Amino acid sequence: MNAALEAEGLVKRYGARTAVQDISFSVPQGAIYGVLGPNGAGKSSTLRMLVGVLRPTAGQITLMGGPISRQTLQRVGYLPEERGLYRSMSARGAIAYLARLKGTPASIAYKRADALLEAHGLGKVRRKKIKTLSKGMAQKVQVLASIAHEPDFIIFDEPFSGLDPVNQRVLEDTIRAQAAAGRTILFSTHVMEHAERLCDRILLIAHGQKAFEGTVPEALALAPSVAMLETDGDFDLAAALGPRGFNIELDGQEHGNKRWRAHLDNSKGSRQLLAACVEAGAPLSLFEPARASLHEAFVALVGDKAMPAAE
Amino acid sequence: MSQILLVARRDYLAYVGAWGFWLSLITAPLIIAILMFAPIFLARAEPPRVLTILAERAEDATAVANAFDTMALEDARREVSAYVAAAAPAIATDAIAAFDAAPSREAGIQAARHIVSMREPRALGAFPAPSPRYILIDPPAADVEALRPYLDARQTLADGRTLYGALNLRRVEGAPRIEYWSVNLSHDEPSNIARRALRLEMQREALVVQGVDPAEAERLQALDPSITQLDPRPSAGTGEVTLRQRAPSFAALALAFILWSVVFSVANMLLTGVIEEKSNKILDTLLTSVSPLQMLIGKLLGVAGVSATLFLFWGALGGTLLSMAATSMADSFVGQIAAAFLEPRLIAAFAIGFVAGYLMYGAIFLALGSLCESIQEAQTLLGPVALVLAMPMMLITPALDNPNAPIIEMASWVPIFTPFLLLIRAPAGLPWIEIAGMGAMMFAAVIVILLLAAQIFRAGVVNQLSVSTLFGRKAKG
Repeated sequence: MNAALEAEGLVKRYGARTAVQDISFSVPQGAIYGVLGPNGAGKSSTLRMLVGVLRPTAGQITLMGGPISRQTLQRVGYLPEERGLYRSMSARGAIAYLARLKGTPASIAYKRADALLEAHGLGKVRRKKIKTLSKGMAQKVQVLASIAHEPDFIIFDEPFSGLDPVNQRVLEDTIRAQAAAGRTILFSTHVMEHAERLCDRILLIAHGQKAFEGTVPEALALAPSVAMLETDGDFDLAAALGPRGFNIELDGQEHGNKRWRAHLDNSKGSRQLLAACVEAGAPLSLFEPARASLHEAFVALVGDKAMPAAE
Repeated sequence: MSQILLVARRDYLAYVGAWGFWLSLITAPLIIAILMFAPIFLARAEPPRVLTILAERAEDATAVANAFDTMALEDARREVSAYVAAAAPAIATDAIAAFDAAPSREAGIQAARHIVSMREPRALGAFPAPSPRYILIDPPAADVEALRPYLDARQTLADGRTLYGALNLRRVEGAPRIEYWSVNLSHDEPSNIARRALRLEMQREALVVQGVDPAEAERLQALDPSITQLDPRPSAGTGEVTLRQRAPSFAALALAFILWSVVFSVANMLLTGVIEEKSNKILDTLLTSVSPLQMLIGKLLGVAGVSATLFLFWGALGGTLLSMAATSMADSFVGQIAAAFLEPRLIAAFAIGFVAGYLMYGAIFLALGSLCESIQEAQTLLGPVALVLAMPMMLITPALDNPNAPIIEMASWVPIFTPFLLLIRAPAGLPWIEIAGMGAMMFAAVIVILLLAAQIFRAGVVNQLSVSTLFGRKAKG
């Protein structure tokens, strides 16, 4: 698959402080690509370099087959982390204005603005000034303004922050719809669940450096997995499976049953554990392999301190 | 280019859509009219001030009273003269001659009025009825102590009026001494009039003591040289410098002040506008569509459009009045000043000064605005900037006195001074080649300043360089 964007050895320094240190990654055409990391990891600096707002201290960016230029940026939609619109403009005026700046003819820009606002439940407020809209509504308007020129590549910086759960779902649907229309989407977030639900590939940044790049399953595979088990009576599962190479510890007792936590790895996975339990004649009343999360994967990669809390 | 125009159009519509724009569009001419005419109306509305004179010598009282009469006559002549020069310039000379030939002030006013009523009746409607600033009455009491109740308004005069002041003219060892009594402590004009009158009286007495005939002494006191100012240049015709020759300098001075106030107020609009956009967090979005230089130019054009709209309205209003004045009152003061505004050199200088001055100062203010996080922070910068902007104004007076002084010639090639000094020097016969040269220099300076300002603008809005970081108080990143 062709790359919509390739970044090679990106570095950004602000005086003596290095915000981004030698980051390389590639965003395939048509993919939903997540840039993850805690606050202050260097995500926004990276994204601002991708849209030409910041000049990299070092490194190269190839956007849709060429260097960043006014022409290629016309095909990019960008929602910055620090959001804002002209407060005295109407919702449709703001969307149409930003679309026109990206080269969309006026008549088409206004039609698209009306259609997008209608489709996203904002039809009734399309002529209202931005300053009269709620924060969530204004944020939706800005998202729509970033896609109204029908860009080939969409970059959202922390698009979910400030939205309530309902609108977060709506935005997820919007992102999926844009991807279904063949657009490449790159977004940053510090909330792993959004990335887990949406992304084909992810890039993890911590302390300005790349910690991981790959698919979501590849990332999940890096997370330590566990399984929760429960046995009837006094059966000692740890003693029965320990010699078979399983690392099992007692997690508690309840109603006369024992709860066990088994730590799994690639050679000793949940399937092998279940087979061993059957072979050992363990009186199982519960067998529950716990699904690893991106959060756990990234804690494993960069440590607890560098990671944000899961939402 | 289309992006620049879009930025300009949005800024233009945002300013024009604000109620403050319409307020300034309508109120500015009204305020100017009020400022021009209010002092006249106020002066006319105030009744004459009532004075009285106590004097040890009757000659002193007569001399001072005559001085007040002369002043009232000259004031009336000036007012009638200004009116007929503006309203009926064709008969102004005859009307003033009639005034001068009349035996008294009141008769002079009537004589001039009669000429106007006979020959230009349409101009009679607003013919002035000047009243004297002071009326002298006989003292209502014999001495100062007895006058006190009248002076501090405890007691009114027989006709109900209040006594404004009293001049007590004494002689101490033969020399006049003036005591001026009044509760209006900050106003001492009556005592100054009395002082000038008695000084002449003292000189006359001294001449008489020296044996000069009293009539001859009065003739000597009235001696006064006549002055004619001449321009030696061939283009000056007869050479005599009249109002017609001086009018362009007055017009240039007025235009320099207009230019300065417009540049300052419009530049402030740009400064606050860019700070507002920074605080609205919209610049990151815009910068993926337009470059900092495009945005800078777009903003300058947008606000230039706002100024142009204001000027078109005010210019249409003022231009109509000026051209009417220039044609219908060609010989009058107003007509000559109006005609001076239409002097080609002055128009060229104003066009260059306005466009270049606006772009240059506007770009500087935009760049400064991009370095500020808030209006409060901008105000810390405005102090030094206002001083820089005040510098051209400091050179205007010396430039009016001697437009070709070496320091003025040199300063007019320094871009921050050029727009203003070019205006002042243009009516003084500045060669067209020099005007064109300054225009070209300003064009180059504007391009350099725009490019530099775009760099600062980028640093301010993209890299978030700010006044605070420049002075090391707060690190950003």
